[in-house]
Amino acid sequence: MNKIMYLEFERCIGCRACQAACRECGDHDAKERNFVEHVDFMESRQTFPMMCMQCKDPACARVCPANAIQITEEGVVLSASDEKCIGCRNCTFGCPFGIPKFDFEENKMYKCDMCYDRSKHDIAPMCASVCPSDAIRFIDFDEMQSLRRRRTQMNLVEGKKPTEQDKWKYVPEFFGVYSD
Amino acid sequence: MSEFISKPGVKNLQRDGEKLITTHCSYCGMQCGMHIRVSERTGEIKGVEPRYDWPVTLGKLCPKGVTAYQQIDHPDRIKRPLIKKNGEFIESSWDEALSLIERKFTELQEKHGKDSLSVFGGVSMTNEKCYLVGKYARVALGTRFIDYNGRFCMSSAAGGFNQTFGLDRGSTLPWTELEHSDCFLIAGSNTAECHPTSIQMFWKARDKGAKMIVVDPRETPTARIADVHLDLKPGTDSALANGLLHLIIKEGYVDQEYVDERCNNYEELKASVEAFTPDHTASLTGVDKEKIIKAAHIFGQSPRSVVMFARGVEQQSKGVDNVTLYSALALLRGQIGKFASGVATFTGQGNGQGGREHGQKSDLLPGYRKLTDPEAVKYISKVWGIEPEEMPKPGVSAYEMFDEIHNGTIKAMHVICSNPAVSSPNVEYAWEAFKKLDFLVVNDFFLSETAEFADVVLPTTTWAEDEGTTTNLEGRVIRIRKAIEPLHESKPDWEIFGEIAKRLGKGKHFNYKNPREIFEEFRIATKGGKADYSGITYERIDKEDGVFWPCPSEDHPGTPTIFKDKFSTPDGKANLPAVAWKEPGEIPTKEFPLRLTTGRVVYHYLSGNQTRRIDFLMEQCPVPYAEMHPELASQYNMRDGEMIKLSTPRSSMELEVKLTKATRNDIVFVPYHWGKELSVNKLTNPSLDPISRMPEFKVCSAKIEKL
Repeated sequence: MNKIMYLEFERCIGCRACQAACRECGDHDAKERNFVEHVDFMESRQTFPMMCMQCKDPACARVCPANAIQITEEGVVLSASDEKCIGCRNCTFGCPFGIPKFDFEENKMYKCDMCYDRSKHDIAPMCASVCPSDAIRFIDFDEMQSLRRRRTQMNLVEGKKPTEQDKWKYVPEFFGVYSD
Repeated sequence: MSEFISKPGVKNLQRDGEKLITTHCSYCGMQCGMHIRVSERTGEIKGVEPRYDWPVTLGKLCPKGVTAYQQIDHPDRIKRPLIKKNGEFIESSWDEALSLIERKFTELQEKHGKDSLSVFGGVSMTNEKCYLVGKYARVALGTRFIDYNGRFCMSSAAGGFNQTFGLDRGSTLPWTELEHSDCFLIAGSNTAECHPTSIQMFWKARDKGAKMIVVDPRETPTARIADVHLDLKPGTDSALANGLLHLIIKEGYVDQEYVDERCNNYEELKASVEAFTPDHTASLTGVDKEKIIKAAHIFGQSPRSVVMFARGVEQQSKGVDNVTLYSALALLRGQIGKFASGVATFTGQGNGQGGREHGQKSDLLPGYRKLTDPEAVKYISKVWGIEPEEMPKPGVSAYEMFDEIHNGTIKAMHVICSNPAVSSPNVEYAWEAFKKLDFLVVNDFFLSETAEFADVVLPTTTWAEDEGTTTNLEGRVIRIRKAIEPLHESKPDWEIFGEIAKRLGKGKHFNYKNPREIFEEFRIATKGGKADYSGITYERIDKEDGVFWPCPSEDHPGTPTIFKDKFSTPDGKANLPAVAWKEPGEIPTKEFPLRLTTGRVVYHYLSGNQTRRIDFLMEQCPVPYAEMHPELASQYNMRDGEMIKLSTPRSSMELEVKLTKATRNDIVFVPYHWGKELSVNKLTNPSLDPISRMPEFKVCSAKIEKL
């Protein structure tokens, strides 16, 4: 797998298709693991998606006393394994992004696993597949690099400069798995 | 033929023991491609898989699309025919229900004449079914009273396009070209919420530097990304469009050669927009003058531009005028019939395009033929196997059918695939009408608000239990596949029409074994008409990723870009409008000082009968709310989350306040997807457009009170 998840917050339209789709993933028990939030609804309708950053050295796994959070060879940080999770919720406190969720009925954590059943075959995770505005994308590393260069490139095309209303000041972020 | 269609090199997740059925979403006009996951062993619906290789939407889905499959095997499905006895629904057999319908229909027609029956159709179903609704009303029931819910949706666009171009095809260009356009003028459409998967096309164009001008009273997720957001007062679209036309002419942006060659009426238009100076336009619309000028310059300078609009401009008492004026913007710039430019409307319902072409309208026959044209009547009568004299005359529009019920002309109604008890304006009037009916039959798969008024409810299949074709908002005819056999005792609508026709002695006209046979007859019926489907086959749709009508023969490639050389008017030229300013049907008064506008949220579809039953969607948006600017709220001492009373001259309702600065400070917005006491359509104004008979959902005067 040489693909990464690429987010452009600016594009998010707040439809939450990513959350509906997250529930559809085979291993997700119909529970969404990602987030869509308004920046400040009083001011604007801007929303943004948030999902697991698939950290190289994940705090959630580090703080897990049961060693329940496994990292695959591609670098995907999986949801806690059913057998090992002791329901201590350390991971939910440890994660700086507030990603792991906790199921109080089952007494175990659950989190984004980049739809590992899909992404291990190079098929886009459900959220990136359905995102209508391409705010969430599952793309090649090279494509991501060219997207990052786009802003400069746009300035070279006469008459096609971004306007001041464009919120390009939000630098596109990328994260996910990249191993070579 | 394979049920699963996929292009080489496209990877889908194929789970063990499951098969994928290639189809399209059941909801809006985007008709996003999807595969439905079905268990091979039990035949149960398992879920959805994106259809990455559908060229229009590339696998993208909105939350409604992702959860659409959950309707199919839903606990709320109507399992058996229901008959109302002593005010309660009792499950019964098909035979009992159909016998009752037969007896009642015959009785009423013998006593009060043929026209005592009526049919209220819908367009969230396949072309095959839509075509058959018209035939069912006119041949089986022999009534002139037939109309459909497109009157509350698309009829102004149809009226405007017919006036301007002589033909109503929702989009003059294929939407796969949108990414190459330079400028979008989007009026009255919150496409990011109402047709979410279209937003990717605008972003692709924007990535290349395209500009967006969005006309909307609220700063919607669509307007948020616009280069110029023209935040007009609801109901002033015609003034704004006239103002833009004024500037296009004054600043010399008119493609004179194109206009001279392909348009009539230019001098009249020029004279009529003369008065709409930026100052005058700004005072009428409430939009800043500078923004209007900026928008006109951006639009005028763009080499390729697309003018797009939706219900915001259409659902007004001058909807047709608005459509003609916005279309005129594209004509003056010489954009129609060219690459990546043109004019388009966002079709609201799944088959809003196809459904309105095939004779569900009170005055139309299949293929956009006019019921008033004796030649058309003769041709269709021959296809249907009846005498031309038997063909009923034109009836009245959807809302006017309720008038006919109130004055006693219509005694019984058959509602098919529609929920007018939520979607009509001034909906309490419709409720009274339903109560007044002697007999009401409703076809539906969930017990809708309309079905609750019914005497007989017939359980129909969902879209995934029957095959057929639909026409998406581009005019592309696409294929819906059957994923599973009909659940419980439900039957597809076309089978129900056949059964009723048989009992009324018209069975020989409805001898179909499957939708394909209907499609074959329907191809013949449309042959030679304006919306000509005769060259389209199921096989071609699969092979060619859908076929664009008009397609008059099997070797015809279809018509992705329409009006390339000439328009469909008698002289081949487009008619430019000349429209004076007119206020909306209701303007703010001392008693009702505000403007109320209604619309959609991304989580619900139309009357909400389907989406209000899906858990995920209800978690996101369970009830309607009154959205307003904090400045307006503070004048009434209202706070976020408080309950208020919203009233118009017709009725009132209680709603929760939701505050945001991303809206005008003199309007209240309420989404309309709910029924009964939560229905904002109790409040909306039934002021009809004189041509399209479209009610004015989008603007009426209102007042708010703190509770």
